[in-house]
Amino acid sequence: MSAEDGVGRERKLALNEDWAATIAGLVLLGLVLVGALPGWLVP
Amino acid sequence: MAEVETRQRSQVWWAVAGVAVVVVLGALTRYLEQNVPVFTKGTWLGGIAKSVEYPVYAILLGLLGNAVLTGLGFRDKLAAGFRTEFFIKTGLVLLGASINFAVIVKAAGPAIAQAFLLITLVFGFTWWLGGKLGVDSKLRALLASAVSICGVSAAIAAAGAVQARREQLAYTASLVIIFALPSIFLLPLAVDALGLSPAVAGAWIGGNIDTTAAVSAAGALVGEEALQIATIVKTTQNALLGVVAVALTAYFALKVERTGEAKVSGKALWERFPKFVLGFLAASIIATIFLESGGDKAAITTVNDLRTLFLILAFVSIGLEFKVAPLREAGWKPIGVFASAAVFNLLVGLGLASILFSGFNG
Repeated sequence: MSAEDGVGRERKLALNEDWAATIAGLVLLGLVLVGALPGWLVP
Repeated sequence: MAEVETRQRSQVWWAVAGVAVVVVLGALTRYLEQNVPVFTKGTWLGGIAKSVEYPVYAILLGLLGNAVLTGLGFRDKLAAGFRTEFFIKTGLVLLGASINFAVIVKAAGPAIAQAFLLITLVFGFTWWLGGKLGVDSKLRALLASAVSICGVSAAIAAAGAVQARREQLAYTASLVIIFALPSIFLLPLAVDALGLSPAVAGAWIGGNIDTTAAVSAAGALVGEEALQIATIVKTTQNALLGVVAVALTAYFALKVERTGEAKVSGKALWERFPKFVLGFLAASIIATIFLESGGDKAAITTVNDLRTLFLILAFVSIGLEFKVAPLREAGWKPIGVFASAAVFNLLVGLGLASILFSGFNG
């Protein structure tokens, strides 16, 4: 793997992570607001 | 072929083990945060234990885990599981739910003004000083982006824009974390010493500390209002990352590399725009509508607990990621540039936060 490939891989991972975090955060918020994730389940 | 597959599978297992390490240390942080004040109540340690907040336990446990795993020779293999950026961004989307959208709208004006001025001044200063000291232009672009915008994620975007080497990215990321760690503790102390209001303190912290995870840690140490303003300011800086990355691509193509090929398009801007900013805004709008239409406030308390869990995982990861080795290879000049830029950022940031957020009342 060349040095440039390494940077490209890091960038792709960062972009995917960005979307993953956005979706994870909003899904968790949705689950709590509709009552599917009750307070006692969160330590 | 089979060998490559086996290696990739083994890397995935190490990454999963890395995440498990973060979760275990996160659980330990939660346990200590909740129980140390109870265990030490009535003793001379009780007062101190009560004032120690979760970012302190999380970072210290992360650093301790880092030392143990380095000693055992496992740290680098597990590092793929130390996903600070994922944890902090998920935590920040959830944090959006605790901020009334009206506060974001009210803070947007001063936050955009501060982010625009700080990025321009700090990027310009770092670029100029790096040039004076003869630092390689690609490394200068990485250092200037990291110190003026949002630490590691800005360095990754800039590295893609200017086609920097992987070692230059690793080096900049190490500098960001080495400078961010002490700032998490020193800035809240300075806030106390200077007697800053929560809004000014939040704006100063948000505009100053490079990495978003460290901004949240320092903001949380000062208090909830400071954390909210620090996050709004830092999120605004994050949002401007795409603009700077595209400008760097164009500058390097036309002026430095002289290839004459500069891809400045709406698509490139969107590709580099940090999407979690949209999640943060959406969470604030959803929670504001939920509460204003008579939703249960206890649900938002649960969201806040979830947010704290993700912030803890991010802070543990900061401690686990801390690594000084790449610094030895690049010499003192880039460290000097980064340190001077950090001091410049500190002073200009304090001035701008005091002017723009002095009368702010969320």
